[in-house]
Amino acid sequence: MTEEPYRWLEAVANRREYVRDQLKGGSPAFAVSLPEGILLLGVGSGQSKVFELFDRHALAGLGHPADIEKIRQAAIDAAHTESFTRAPEDVSLRRLVSFGMSPQLKTNFEQIFAAPFLVELLLAEIGAEPDKDLLLRLYFDGGFRFQTGGVMVVASQPEPEAAAQGWLNRELAGRQDRREVADLLLQAWWCLVEGKSFGDALPAAAERQAGWRAATKDRVVELGWLARHSNRPAHYEALSLAQAGL
Amino acid sequence: MNPATPIAGDFVSLLAAHKLAALPSAPSSTAPVQTQATTVFAFHYADGILMAGDRRATAGNVIVTDRVDKVIEIDASSLLAIAGVPATAFEMARVLQTSFEYYRRSQLQPLSLPAKVRALARLLRENLPMTMQGVGVVAPLFAGLDQTIHPAKPRIYFYDPLGAQFQAVDYVASGSGSGTIRSILSFQERYGSPHPSQMKLGEAVKFALRLLMIASEFDSATGGVNPATQTYATIKTLGSKGVESLSDEQQAAFLK
Repeated sequence: MTEEPYRWLEAVANRREYVRDQLKGGSPAFAVSLPEGILLLGVGSGQSKVFELFDRHALAGLGHPADIEKIRQAAIDAAHTESFTRAPEDVSLRRLVSFGMSPQLKTNFEQIFAAPFLVELLLAEIGAEPDKDLLLRLYFDGGFRFQTGGVMVVASQPEPEAAAQGWLNRELAGRQDRREVADLLLQAWWCLVEGKSFGDALPAAAERQAGWRAATKDRVVELGWLARHSNRPAHYEALSLAQAGL
Repeated sequence: MNPATPIAGDFVSLLAAHKLAALPSAPSSTAPVQTQATTVFAFHYADGILMAGDRRATAGNVIVTDRVDKVIEIDASSLLAIAGVPATAFEMARVLQTSFEYYRRSQLQPLSLPAKVRALARLLRENLPMTMQGVGVVAPLFAGLDQTIHPAKPRIYFYDPLGAQFQAVDYVASGSGSGTIRSILSFQERYGSPHPSQMKLGEAVKFALRLLMIASEFDSATGGVNPATQTYATIKTLGSKGVESLSDEQQAAFLK
């Protein structure tokens, strides 16, 4: 019996390894806070990577489609029930994640005899001003990290994700044009899926642009836009590449 | 991850799963003095549908307020105009707003127009006990976009308090001032020039404001339109591109 805790720790470690292995090859997604709104981007098969959650909230992610769907549905249920029983203004990303999604993901991850959720997620909440924008990275084990504004990357492996995040932080600094930003996100996406370095061996801009164009030919670039100023309660709008100027 | 939703994308059944009622009702032996709201109407004009309502709410012979918005945007392609008891009607509007958006977001497609029309009929049927007691009577108007044809075409529906639904071909009105409005609309449609369905936006708005002015002369529960006191109506339009609202300033400009 004394070895049981060690078996449990080992089982959790194995589980972590299993999830990371299953997520390998998942298509990364991004969110960027801009003066006029938040841009979310992923490359998938159409309505598979980037989703509207509520009036001011959106989600992007990678993983098993059935698991993304379960979590998306749970978030939508929680947001609409909260909105109906209180008010739309009471639906906040902090509460949705801190008291709903994160504890449930953690519980599921630690139940070692049940299948874990194969997901890595990114959530966004548009504020009245850019410095009130919230971006949130939600991990498969229920861990999460908040960030005010800026750019956020979700990828299947931590090291490339950190490298892409660092590169985009530098490249996007001071940029406000949505078309330019979307183009840079797609360049980062191509580098991540092709396993390119974000260091000294980073391909030239022309190669990166040609790369994402070729790689997305038979796929759908999914763009979501949370407009800061809207006449309607729902701030989310799905954009085509052409609408984003690409 | 979450309690199973009995019907996919159905917000009312999600509320029931959480033991919450969309429109709670309790039997009562006596009816309180009710706040009521009248008058609303809708007609086809050249670019779509115009839906308008006065802004008065009354309780018996008391004017409660002259600042009620009785034409409500349910979603980007649906409008609801309420006549009857605001407490019930506003709650119905809130249920519909949340239900339509919940369906669109969860099922990744908008609810069809027939389903939207029936959703309101279902709420009216569920409100039957309150209707039969004489409290909570609602006789709404609904407008939505038929997206099965291109370009999408707006349609108008009206209901009886039990939930029967009917499509209005040219125009419809509801509430205590509706008799006057229907008479004028009928006359204009048959003998007038231009017919309401041929009016441009400016003409249609001016016509709608004048309709409310006349209705308020014959019905004390209908608040009028008075440019001198900056009292205007709630007016929204529904065209193939969706819902638009007309501000007091825009109405004032059209009325000049």
